Amino acid sequence: MPPLFCQTQLFLWPAAFRSQPAHITINTHKGTVSKLPSLWFLPQHLFYDTLSHTPLTPTTSTTESNNPSIIVRRTDRTSYKQTSRVEHTLIDIMQRSSPAPRGPRNSSPSIRGRGGIQKRKAGPTRLDRDGDLVMDAAAAGEKRRSGRGHVGSDTPSRGQGNGRGRGGQGRAASQKLLQAQAAIVRGLNAKLPQANVLESRITSTDSALQIDGLSSSKAASNPDGGVESLLAFLERKASAHDPKSKPVKIKKSLKKGGSVIITASPDDVLAIQKLNGYSFAGADLSITACEPPSSRLEKPKDEVSVSAQETKERLRGVLASRYDANLKLLNLAALAQDPGLIQMGVFDGSTTTSKIFPALMVVCDGLFKTRSEKREAIVSVTLADNDLVDVKDVAALAQTFPDIKNLDLSRNKIAQLSSLDAWGTRFRDLVTLILTGNPIEPSLPAIKSDLVKKYPHLEILNGVQFRTPEEIASTIEATKYPIPLQTPDFRDVGQVGENFIRQFVALYDSNRSALLTNFYDDESVLSLAINMAAPRNPKQILPIAPWAPYLKYSRNLVRVNNLPTQMSRLHRGSQAINTVWSALPATRHPDLQTQPEKYLIECHSLPGLVDPNGQSARGVDGLIITMHGEFEEENDKPEQALRSFSRTFVLGPGGPGGPAIRVISDMMTLRAWGPLALPRVAAVGGVPLEAAPAVTEQQQQEAFAQQLVLRTGLTLQYAILCLTETGWDLEKAFVAFEANRHKLPTEAFANSNFQ
Amino acid sequence: MADISEDQEVKVAIETAETFVNTYYVTISKPHAIKEIPDFYVKPNPESPLKPDISLNGNLISSPSDLEAVFEKQPPKTHYEVQSFDCHVLNRNYNVGVPDNVLEMNKHGRKMSIMVTVSGSVRYGDGADIQGFMDSLVLVPNWEAYGKPHKGKRRWLVQSQTFRLVL
Repeated sequence: MPPLFCQTQLFLWPAAFRSQPAHITINTHKGTVSKLPSLWFLPQHLFYDTLSHTPLTPTTSTTESNNPSIIVRRTDRTSYKQTSRVEHTLIDIMQRSSPAPRGPRNSSPSIRGRGGIQKRKAGPTRLDRDGDLVMDAAAAGEKRRSGRGHVGSDTPSRGQGNGRGRGGQGRAASQKLLQAQAAIVRGLNAKLPQANVLESRITSTDSALQIDGLSSSKAASNPDGGVESLLAFLERKASAHDPKSKPVKIKKSLKKGGSVIITASPDDVLAIQKLNGYSFAGADLSITACEPPSSRLEKPKDEVSVSAQETKERLRGVLASRYDANLKLLNLAALAQDPGLIQMGVFDGSTTTSKIFPALMVVCDGLFKTRSEKREAIVSVTLADNDLVDVKDVAALAQTFPDIKNLDLSRNKIAQLSSLDAWGTRFRDLVTLILTGNPIEPSLPAIKSDLVKKYPHLEILNGVQFRTPEEIASTIEATKYPIPLQTPDFRDVGQVGENFIRQFVALYDSNRSALLTNFYDDESVLSLAINMAAPRNPKQILPIAPWAPYLKYSRNLVRVNNLPTQMSRLHRGSQAINTVWSALPATRHPDLQTQPEKYLIECHSLPGLVDPNGQSARGVDGLIITMHGEFEEENDKPEQALRSFSRTFVLGPGGPGGPAIRVISDMMTLRAWGPLALPRVAAVGGVPLEAAPAVTEQQQQEAFAQQLVLRTGLTLQYAILCLTETGWDLEKAFVAFEANRHKLPTEAFANSNFQ
Repeated sequence: MADISEDQEVKVAIETAETFVNTYYVTISKPHAIKEIPDFYVKPNPESPLKPDISLNGNLISSPSDLEAVFEKQPPKTHYEVQSFDCHVLNRNYNVGVPDNVLEMNKHGRKMSIMVTVSGSVRYGDGADIQGFMDSLVLVPNWEAYGKPHKGKRRWLVQSQTFRLVL
């Protein structure tokens, strides 16, 4: 039987199509050849959520972005000299949280990093601060309460200070500002109880007891020498003494010769001491107070610790006097003139900040447990009036406070942008930068783009807004997507891709066997792979439904390495595919028409596919379609129903007796759900289908001509001829073609370029 | 045409895909290797005028040499990571642009086109958010290296690529 010409040539593109430039460069690529603009019309509002730059915290945004001059005002050092009650609270935290450090010895601030300090938080020297701690905590509580009450009365004086410093702020405006600041302080205070708990856990000083008599008890013959049962006994009995209080807990124990040394909190030690003379397993216990075991070990170092700690305390004092809780500002301006630092003699012989600064930063680091705590507490830093030629001496700032939003470098000696290189790529969140009074100032307009590159969120320079948030957003987008996101590149031919996708989405949900009949044959190959490691959007994380239903089909070749499994997870032919599809959970895909933003679908032609009729040795053309989207899965946990998927299809002409267009290859990848990265701008020229302008007659005729080309293999020219003769009736034209095909010259048919 | 078992084909396809994913994404991660990127793609010549079809995030790249300009915009320390890939043999006797002398030759099942899909993550620069990508590629034999010692030439080249950031 001679092969049906129209089938073998079904996928040969019309010559006219080929001669068109198939490629458009990035720059000119605005309107891709898309037969489906409407489907991929993307409402603009959808993108602002995911792409807007990190918002300022609500409190700071009111303060900072509306008052560009605020930073300048803060550089007035006089306003920090007064120590408000709120600041007292801060000082309290700073002081209480002091772990006993070895710290900078004899004013030599050589320590770096937090490890050393933290390690000693549980160290022995905290003994020295035993009594202080309790009092301190109570006092702090007292101050905290009063601090909260006094914010209102305290702040006006600050307002005056501001007025002196800058003179430009209206009283009413600063009043409004102060209210905002009061809210910040309340927020800060609200965090304190938690800090207290942490403090007490870390610094509360344990006492030790020596217990004798275990060796003569019956328990001494236990495998562990009876320690375990002795401890249990002590805890039980001591707790029984005062049933109302919380149970006594022994924290550490150490067997030393015939005695056992235990450590517990002071309260518990008191309770345990009452057990002196109790009888345990036939022996009388003798309980006496002693030094905690570890403290004896480190005793010789106490001398150093004390002096180092003193240095640290003084630095802490300096920092406390320079911190403004209201503005969340750490004022490190004019360090060389700081009376506290001068008193400590740190500038003896040299006036640089290089020595003291890292030490200050180490102390700062020790005050915060997490980066987010730091981010919360310190939003702004001023380094004004420090004679800085570059930032090498203050490089530690970038490590300690990488997330600050406002930075003041006024009146230093910075001459070029490279002077800031010591900070590397930190301060990515910087919104405000002040370089007033530096040699660099006149050249700032020229280096705007470099500045922006360094600080992508920079909005206010020297108190002047120089970029709009929109500009910032688009710049950030360019950074996030170095290969810009364009609207889907859907280069369909004769609507083959569109028709397939429409049917696929609908039928995969409702009738998979009909889908198989329409598009799959015995040569179709299907496989699926799970990418369990796929990244997720940290802002939109949903629980993941178990992968179990898909797992035994997953052909993720990163993981599946043995050939038999690789073979068995490749499904060839409608029947095999049907077996897989009937086992996979039922799905619901978003509607293509009403939720186009849930999909990204692209396609283009693909040469060199198998000619199912064996006519063309060099193969026939087909279509490769990629579809990214999501579906809801039918399972028993509706809140875990969403999955993200990508599917790649290769479509080609079908063989005799099969579907006219068949799926040659169908590959699915499944991922945990995440929103698609969509292009920010709405599709250029994209209009909703409903609003599409009426199809002109010419367009209609072109569409008919292309369909006829596809069905008959005629050239576009002959197809148009044929249609003209049959009054542009597609069916009549096809019938006429069938009847006259043998009479047509060979040049009437579009042959493959490759034949 | 030599009859190649399906096992053999699948094996060749997987090895090819594996070699590709292990080298391509490392190359596009390295700023100094940008010049090597065009080497991964089919090169049109008078004998086989077929151009590769490259679409990255919806941008049509008209020629592989333009890829350098595209990947140049990636910040330093860009890192692509392949987390999953899969492959199918598309055409077990691929003959597009094949020199006449090897038209009928198909030894070792190496004369095929292979579709590869890759799912992975990418980080554009230090500290940047991690993003997800999907890449669908069709690999075809490099006729210049086909059936002879390849002398450092790639045996397989990209004929079609559709890349998208999906997160």
